[in-house]
Amino acid sequence: MEDLTEMLKGTLEGCVLEIIGGEETYGYAITRRLNELGFTDVIDGTVYTILLRLERNGLVQVTKRPSEVGPPRKFYALNDAGRAELATFWAKWQYVSSRIDKLKEGGR
Amino acid sequence: MSFWETITGNDLTRDWHAFETRAAALPAGHRAAWEQIRQHLFPFGDFTGRNLTPIADAALGLLEEAAADGRDVPEVLGDDIPGFCAALAGGEGARTFRDRWRDQLNRDVARKLARLGG
Repeated sequence: MEDLTEMLKGTLEGCVLEIIGGEETYGYAITRRLNELGFTDVIDGTVYTILLRLERNGLVQVTKRPSEVGPPRKFYALNDAGRAELATFWAKWQYVSSRIDKLKEGGR
Repeated sequence: MSFWETITGNDLTRDWHAFETRAAALPAGHRAAWEQIRQHLFPFGDFTGRNLTPIADAALGLLEEAAADGRDVPEVLGDDIPGFCAALAGGEGARTFRDRWRDQLNRDVARKLARLGG
């Protein structure tokens, strides 16, 4: 689906955390995963700025691994703070989505 | 970083030379994007611009990875390079002149209001 950027803004960081939480991975692979999920608007640049923010906030562990072509790749894994942040994200998501569903059902 | 380097900015000149060498090895499209990124990052610099070094290094790293994977610039950065630069520089540690002026102004106003007994 296109034109989701505005709607995704607040949640993309949580999505990236969830993907990293599954297995240690790198930027381009995260972008591809999001694209496969149907978030076709998401580009590397966006994912990259999110990864930098996660790194600055101490939520991920970063390992540089040599790649077959080009410069070494940075691989990201969640640390304890990252896992706590991910749990908080899902709790907030649960709250928001349940409220919005309720609104759609006419407040019943 | 030694005291001497802090004063002269020698380390900065060296870092930026290294960046330019790396950029020169990029394909033309990626090199052009690097030029644009450099320009758009500049306003986020602090007094010496030292805060920009890690940000520029990160941006260049992304371009290098993209070039190695054979992905072109629009695919990687979209069409909003200024926005990308703002997002890169926007985190903590990217304090600009404007932020400092704003803080200073806020402090002055708060002090004056306090004096008025407000």
